[in-house]
Amino acid sequence: MTKILDGKKLSTEIRDEIKQDILKLKEKGIVPGLAGILVGQNEGSATYVRLKEKAAEALGILTQAVRLSEDASEEQLLKQIDKLNLDSKIHGIFIQLPLPKHINENRALNAILPEKDVDGFHPMNVGKAWLGQEAFLPATPDGIREILTRYGYSNLKDKHAVMVSADNLVGKPMASILIQENVGVNVTLCHPATPNLSDYTRQADILVVSVNKARFITADMVKEGVIAIDFGANYIENPADKTKRKLVGDIDFEKVKEKAEAITPVPGGVGPMTITMLLCSTVKAAKIMSRSRL
Amino acid sequence: MEIIDGRKIAAEIREELKQEISKLKEKGVTPGLAAILVGENAASLSYLRSIARGCEKVGMLMETVKLPEDITQEQIESKIGELNQNPKFHGIILQLPLPKHLDTLKVESAILPDKDIDGTNPVNTGKLLLGEETFFPSTPYGVKELLFRSGYSPEGKHVVICGRSNIVGKPLMGMLVQKQKGANATVTICHTGTKDFASITRQADILVAAMGRAKTITANMVKGGAIVIDVGVNQIEDPATGKFKLTGDVDFEAVKDKVGAITPVPGGTGPVTSAMLMTNTVKSAKRYNK
Repeated sequence: MTKILDGKKLSTEIRDEIKQDILKLKEKGIVPGLAGILVGQNEGSATYVRLKEKAAEALGILTQAVRLSEDASEEQLLKQIDKLNLDSKIHGIFIQLPLPKHINENRALNAILPEKDVDGFHPMNVGKAWLGQEAFLPATPDGIREILTRYGYSNLKDKHAVMVSADNLVGKPMASILIQENVGVNVTLCHPATPNLSDYTRQADILVVSVNKARFITADMVKEGVIAIDFGANYIENPADKTKRKLVGDIDFEKVKEKAEAITPVPGGVGPMTITMLLCSTVKAAKIMSRSRL
Repeated sequence: MEIIDGRKIAAEIREELKQEISKLKEKGVTPGLAAILVGENAASLSYLRSIARGCEKVGMLMETVKLPEDITQEQIESKIGELNQNPKFHGIILQLPLPKHLDTLKVESAILPDKDIDGTNPVNTGKLLLGEETFFPSTPYGVKELLFRSGYSPEGKHVVICGRSNIVGKPLMGMLVQKQKGANATVTICHTGTKDFASITRQADILVAAMGRAKTITANMVKGGAIVIDVGVNQIEDPATGKFKLTGDVDFEAVKDKVGAITPVPGGTGPVTSAMLMTNTVKSAKRYNK
């Protein structure tokens, strides 16, 4: 039987654990704090930030909403980041991307104190993770790590992991997790333009896909027994009801499922884990920071 | 089959550097490199002497800062602090391994990222992986340059890197997956212990051996026509003479007739590595004097 890697269920479990963790921290007088920065009026971004804040509050995390107008200058943004860096009530800071074009994204992300960079985008965290040191990881790949561990795929030695994505959000951080000596996996990073892509995907024991093309990976592109991880989120027309759209992944779920040992569904796979891992990292940051203060 | 001549390529690079350095000198700037050596390691000393000779040839300043074996963590960090402040030096390198009582990570992280020309500070590793402007560690940078200058672009090719060390395998993968000219490759990183090792190495258009194990890559592990870059440096004893000989990670004699091009050991990646160290120091000197 193919295992459906249920991110939604896991996410609920993990949030319960975080809640307990936070209760214990509160007994010691520590309240984890998360600050979210949103620049501009993008509706999708605003909704997403609100979701993160609500989820944090539900677990007892203190949140601080920082909202800047679309025409805020880079300097204003950097000033806000600085303030949060110095604020001892705040343990985690995230900036909702994308930023307006007149702001240099790297400069903004690099201004966050690495110790508070719960999204794991600061070069210091990216570098540490790549070198196999303790660091914050981007939430989505971190979620996959958690899914694999909790579904019993913790010994991956001798496996071949193939990422169809070499970007900063998925491919590289996933490689960062799998490439380490103690994991023992051979890792291939493909990009969407890799010639003869299926030659690689067919070798994958673990296949990670993030190309944002609906059902891009078909059954003939995978091998029997693959563990398939789908980062895609594509809206397509719903044949049953043309007024509604349907969310599908980058993997042809129904067909690939027949060959896979395990697979993440879309929706309900990787997605729900993302916010959960951000909250996990915030609690971790609070623990590390209060430990160093004691 | 072509034997890629690392010495010749390194000489080319040094010649170009000479020109750039003389221009810098007209502005009163001499690129300076400081190498930190803790204790008395004969191999390290001889390596640093060869770097010093190379620097001298191109007109760069190079100083080896020798520190006693029993130096404390605090003392070495404060020494690095001085070098960070010293305007004479645009690049600082640290000779590894350090004595066990020192925390290598902390020592490496003490080097100012702007002078960390060997790219060992994690913040520079992160920038490399993210595709931001930074210093490439000299060995993988040498591999990239060697491929580029000998006309074997990794673009669109399958590069297989054997060995996942923090100084060669990992940064090289980070460099070659970028969407940039001279990169843009599909890259697999694998290690010798895995059961599919040979079946993966046989897929390589470009094979980079960086495991640190003598003659591990044999003829049946490479595809016909592949480009083979050997980063290994192993001293092995010749049973006939009892003398030690420098050998790569690739079984050169057995592999050379099957491949499209190959680097020898010695005379392959080694000379280019030290040329890249100088290249990075000059780059840093330019940055400081913009």
